[in-house]
This record gives sequence, structure tokens and C-alpha cells, in this order.
Amino acid sequence: MINLKDIVQKLGLKVVTGDIDREVSAGYASDLLSDVIANAQKDNIWITLQTHVNIVAVANLQELAGIILVNGRQPEKATLQKAEQENIPLLLTELPTFEIVGKLYELGIHGNRG
Amino acid sequence: MKLLEIKELLEAEVVSGEDNLDMEVNLGCAADLMSDILAYGKPDSILLTGLMNLQVINTANISDIKAICFVRGKKPDENIIKAARNNNLIVLLTNLPMFETCGRLYKKGLKGLGYLGLDM
Amino acid sequence: MDNIRKTTKIQELTYELKIKDVMSKNVETVSSKMPVSSLRDILYKKRISGIPIVNDDKLVGIISIEDFITCLEHGEMDALIEDKMTKNIQSLYADELLVHAVIKFEKYGFGRFPVISRKDKKLVGIITKSDIIKGVLKKLETAYLDEEERRYRASHIFNDVVADELFFKFQYFVEGKNFDKAGEAATGLKKTLYRLGLSPEIVRRTAISTYEAEINIVAFTKGGQIIAYLEPHQIKIVITDKGPGIPDIKKAMKPGFSTAPGWVRELGFGAGMGLPNIKKFADKMTLRSKVEKGTHLEIIIKLSDYRKED
Repeated sequence: MINLKDIVQKLGLKVVTGDIDREVSAGYASDLLSDVIANAQKDNIWITLQTHVNIVAVANLQELAGIILVNGRQPEKATLQKAEQENIPLLLTELPTFEIVGKLYELGIHGNRG
Repeated sequence: MKLLEIKELLEAEVVSGEDNLDMEVNLGCAADLMSDILAYGKPDSILLTGLMNLQVINTANISDIKAICFVRGKKPDENIIKAARNNNLIVLLTNLPMFETCGRLYKKGLKGLGYLGLDM
Repeated sequence: MDNIRKTTKIQELTYELKIKDVMSKNVETVSSKMPVSSLRDILYKKRISGIPIVNDDKLVGIISIEDFITCLEHGEMDALIEDKMTKNIQSLYADELLVHAVIKFEKYGFGRFPVISRKDKKLVGIITKSDIIKGVLKKLETAYLDEEERRYRASHIFNDVVADELFFKFQYFVEGKNFDKAGEAATGLKKTLYRLGLSPEIVRRTAISTYEAEINIVAFTKGGQIIAYLEPHQIKIVITDKGPGIPDIKKAMKPGFSTAPGWVRELGFGAGMGLPNIKKFADKMTLRSKVEKGTHLEIIIKLSDYRKED
């Protein structure tokens, strides 16, 4: 387990919403919501380029530790409001998925097992 | 990084382009949305995706990308393999999730595109 | 915009070329059992600054002109090379990417690195900074000639035809909602333009813009058509559909804005990047739309002497 606060600090992520003092179990990278619903696990940090409001509902449903939006993409207004309401950490990076995942991996965060 | 090395790192199966595993790629490009690949993919990238349909082959083709690795244990149907072979694409399949795939390749030195920012 | 991401052509080439492509292959070598004085002729006549020391095909050290001068100053011309050479050598493999050599030169500040084969570790060449520069320049020159050749071929089509107004027209019909066929128009156009000899970069930009437009027709409309006009100085692509039209074009152009239904998103599109992508790759784009009637999109890609800043 690694604290989200440490990740934010080490990777220079921009925090838009949510309380980042929480533990991260593993990472999940996907842009397909149905896939995240099927395969992401509790306390995963989710990396995606989707900015649609539905990502908050998915994160909530799966009890994810937070969402990192890649490529410098900004959340839509509705997404922002909903994330604030649900206290889901919404984080931004200008790096693409491949690299932000690589950097998370180097911090010791891996994909889900099996 | 040679595709052969990528195949081994990802414990991947090759379904198209078996004879071209000597080819080198310099960049990793990971997304399930093809517009992202179209926007940023470079000809020397390997396209990593969990999307499995003909549009992935079209996207690689249109962006001059030669190598694709499908992640999350997705299996292509005959049409997809045929299209990949017709277009001389190299196609790998791995059971690993996207996160683990990117992590392993990055750790071994495959590069990404760097800071993109909002350029649109 | 995104300056950091941009790599120069030269940087790209250091990833394309291998060390064996630029290294000098005819390497003068000397055995370690020879006296330092035996180096004089080689260093002087061949005007080289460093010599690999090889015993029985195996690289055991390297000696530089600086080492030679030091021996000269100290009157040690009779000393054996093996006592004066650098033994802890840094070498490179012939099949490594050129960028690795660049990194090593920066890291160690040496003037040269011996190059060995990965298989049997035998010395196969030597590489200096000037080898790298010469190799890259040579490659740049051939890339430039290839580009010239393509340009010639593309303009050639038009040179052979005499007319007051001239264009080639390629027309494609696109079905709405049929994702199995999506991409056929764009890949068809790509193949056609490439065969006609247009530069790969122009073909790629045209294909990407057309593909995104095609996906839009499939995902959102009742069907439409794509007509590409290859003209002497540009490609014009006109995309029209039968509706439902876009109510707010300004909003539709905003990156990330999308009205795509879930099924489109699950197919890998519909994240609000299509129109921004077209704008990014086109030299000019014009979008007009009437709700319920349909949408008219025009894309211009200029052919030559013009590089779009992206």
C-alpha cells in the first residue's frame, strides 16, 4: 500500500478535487468504462483519458482511490461537480497514459494480480 | 526496443508478423480510444490497447504504426487477424492488464511521448 | 504549444541508425606486447587519435595520442603498450542504437569508443563523434532526396496533363451506424494517395483527418459521402451527410466535448477528440451544419513547401 498523497507529491499531479490522504492498492489503466466496472478493484488508482461525468460514478461504484486524467485533459464541468460531491480524488497530469503508468510502476504500484 | 524483447517481457503471443520480431520500436502509445492514438501516435510506436475491433487495425494503418499489442487477454477474431496480416502489421496478445503492460515496458526503457499538455 | 514533445529530425535519426551504420570499419590495431614507439607511425601517418589494442582478436585496451605524448615526455618509448594503455575500456555493441553512443560520449567525455560484436565480443570498428555527425548528415541527405523524389512524382502526374482546371476526384460512400465498414474510405484514400507518390507525411495527415470524419458519419449520422479532390497544390476533402446536424458548432469543436452515446465510447471513439484532431492535422477546416438537414465539412491539406506547425 502506498499513500495517494505521496504519489501526488512525487509525480507532481494537480489535485482538482477530493481528499488525497488515502491508500492505493494497485493501478488500473483503461478508457473503457465497462472494462473498469468489470475489472478494476477497490482502492485502485485509475488512469484514463475519459473526462465524461460517468467516470465519477464508476470510481464511486468500484470504490477506487482516485482518477488520474492524462494528456493534460480537463474534466468536464459536470464531472468536476460530481467528483466534488462524491469526494473522489480527481488528479491531472500532462503525461500520456504510458508514461504516467511507467512512473507509478517505478514507485512500486503494480497492476492487479490475476 | 526489439519486438522480440517486448514479446518476452509481456509473455505475449504473436498472431501476425511472426517473421518481423526483429523490428525496433522507440515509443509506447497506450489508449483504448483511437482518437488519442491518431492524435499522438508516431510511426515508430507500439500501440498498446484493450480495445478489440477492426478500428484498431485501421488506426494503426492510417497512422503508419507497424506494431500493436492487445492487452487484457483480448482475443482477435479471424477478420482482425486477416486485416492485420494484409497490412503487414505485427500483432501481439498479452493477458496482462494495461497498467502492468505499460509499467514493464517503461521500466525496461521504452519511452513515451513526454509532456503533451493541451495542444488542441 | 507542445514544444517539449517535439524532437528534431536529428534526434529521431539517432534512434533510427545503429552504431554499425556510422562507425569506421577499417580499424588499425596493435598488440599489447609491442613497444609504445611502434605507435608513432600509425598515429602520425593515419592521423588517428586512438588505437584499440587487440590480442588474438580480443580487445584488451585502448591507447590514445595523449598517452603516447605522455610517454614521449617521460622518455618511455620502449615501455610495453600493455603497461601504458587504458585497460578498463568502455565499448559499444555494433547493433546498439546510435543514441546510446551519444549518451556514452556525453557521460565519459572520451574521444572514441571501440565497437564490438555482441555475439563473439570481437572488435569490429571504432566510433568517434565525427563518425556520428557524418553518419547523421548522410542519412539526412538521403531522406531529403527520397522526399524530393516523391514530390517529383506527385507533381509529375499533373505535368503530363494539359487542362485549364485540373483535379482528380475520389468518391466514397459511407453508411451510417455500420461500424464494421468504418475506415474503408480513409484507408482506401490513403492507399490511393500513397500510390500516386505523395509524401508519407501528407498522406498520413490526410488519412487521419478523413478517418475521424468518416467515424463521425458512422457514429452520428444516417450516412453520407466523402469526396477527395487531388489538385496541383492541395488536397481538398469534402464530407457531407444527411443529418441530424450539429446544433452548436463552437461547442462541438471543444476538445473533450462529446454527445456520443455509450456504444460509440465502448467502440473506442466519442471522447470529443474527433473534430479537434481534424483541425490539428488539416491546414484549413470549414464546418457548416444545419440541424435536421446535415453537416458539410471541408478539409484542406497543402501539398508542398509548407509544413504545418503542430
